[in-house]
Amino acid sequence: MTGQEAYQRDIVWPANYNEIPKEIFVRQDLYQAEINRIFRGPEWHPVAHESEVPLPGDFKTCNLADVPLLIIRGEDGKVRAFYNACSHRSNQIEVKPSGNRTEFECPYHRWLFNSAGELVGCPNQREFTPGFDKKDYPLAQPRQESLGGLLFVTLSPETDSLDDFLQEAKTSLMDIMGGDGRLRLIGYHRVRYLTNWKAYSDNDGYHPPLLHQAFTMLNWQGGAGRQYATTGRGHYCIDTELTVPKPTSVIRDTSVIEFRDEGRPKRSSVLALFPMLVASNYLNVISIRFATPVAIDEVEVNYAYFAHQDDDEEMVRHRIRQSSNAIGPSGLISMEDASVFHRVHIGNRTPGKAVFQKGVTDPSRLSFEFRQNDESGNLPHWEYYRAAMGFRRTAA
Amino acid sequence: MSKLSLEELASLDVLQAAYISALDGKAMKAWLDTFDDDPDASYICTARNDVECGLKVAMMLDDCRDRLIDRCTFIEDIWAGTFQDYRTRHFSQRVTAERREDGSVAMSSNFSVIFTPDDTGLPQQLATGTYEDIIRMDGGRCRFLSRTAVTDNSVLPRYLVFPL
Repeated sequence: MTGQEAYQRDIVWPANYNEIPKEIFVRQDLYQAEINRIFRGPEWHPVAHESEVPLPGDFKTCNLADVPLLIIRGEDGKVRAFYNACSHRSNQIEVKPSGNRTEFECPYHRWLFNSAGELVGCPNQREFTPGFDKKDYPLAQPRQESLGGLLFVTLSPETDSLDDFLQEAKTSLMDIMGGDGRLRLIGYHRVRYLTNWKAYSDNDGYHPPLLHQAFTMLNWQGGAGRQYATTGRGHYCIDTELTVPKPTSVIRDTSVIEFRDEGRPKRSSVLALFPMLVASNYLNVISIRFATPVAIDEVEVNYAYFAHQDDDEEMVRHRIRQSSNAIGPSGLISMEDASVFHRVHIGNRTPGKAVFQKGVTDPSRLSFEFRQNDESGNLPHWEYYRAAMGFRRTAA
Repeated sequence: MSKLSLEELASLDVLQAAYISALDGKAMKAWLDTFDDDPDASYICTARNDVECGLKVAMMLDDCRDRLIDRCTFIEDIWAGTFQDYRTRHFSQRVTAERREDGSVAMSSNFSVIFTPDDTGLPQQLATGTYEDIIRMDGGRCRFLSRTAVTDNSVLPRYLVFPL
């Protein structure tokens, strides 16, 4: 049994694909291993959309698990991700969540970087090591690729290309971002949930008409569509024709659930990328939820909301009003998700297994196509997680 | 802008107390009654960093009286039985209040909100920030034409059910 981690020895992974051992949500040594194997491992993590930093010198800071990042649009118009640490002694470079600067100065020893991350000044350089060259000390960068303006980073040199990582989800992601990714930032909701990152990422298709009373009260159900999971990492997409609700007297301002024609099919699309990204285009709300674990029992989610660059001002205003009140941590349709994130984590401290039922026709095999209100769509990403963490499935 | 009398300042404090009492008592009808009947009466809850960046999406954007009424419907009817309930204690301190040229009052207050979830029983800080208000004074009665809760929190420690 050499080379096995303690968690791999102790936790018994069930034979059936629809059963998940609850201990994985609460075990501290496993959480540390997840940070190394997944968040610092061979996965792509979206960290910003280019429209969040529209002008040269615009920046935002964020974290990928415990790693601080600094995203800057350079004077050349290119958006780059850097580690938020000086190339000298690693002092944190930028402390603000967002802003605009032409240069970034480390206050510790006044090393100065331009918006492309190049070192342009450092005091007392004549007393440095022989052969010191500023060119050798830019801000360090993780590997990065982008799709439709959505910037992904990976901390591992072994990660597949972004195309291979996304597989079929690439098309769904582009559709969600208006087809071309030409977005315009309109705001954020930033919130922490007291839950394990895997519980946050495990929202399913079974619950919406049952948990979300708004669907029932507003007489609102989805129609036809396609739901699939990718074979690689189990990214899953729930794409449904949108059935616009009948007039309702339940609420007075129905603009919160109004679908205005924006030249695309009336669909609602939710895409969950392994490990933590959720992107959605729902009614007229375009949302990318940047999420990261903060601790074993806490995640931070930055819901970023967008208009499309071709929107007129009335459409932008509509998106602002709908994004604020429809889908988010205090949204008419989705507040209950936030509550469930917390409550599932509390329940996961009990022994035993979580069991998926809806849409599972054969627990001994995986399926990558499912129906709108199935929960079986979550199983491929669980299988990917199991393998990534080195758990051995019990023999049937 | 002109100064207010002590009586007028006292009537603003009565409004603040009514607002706090309504939210801390989860009395949404009483919360609604602190707002003017004007169709454009509004409540907005947003983050200071977003305001400074000109970003308009808000945590709660009830920019008309119909949405104020809908806020009560969300909490009392649509979300009933789904969320982890919590009790709040609002602490508010009027900082400035001045009469505007149109006769309404512009008031700014600091606020701090402590919340105690039913399931843990442990009080925690929920949010801190400022209220930026426009208030209609009608005789001795004051009501909000608009109340904007601007949180210093860029990140909330949990989801919000009730307005701040």
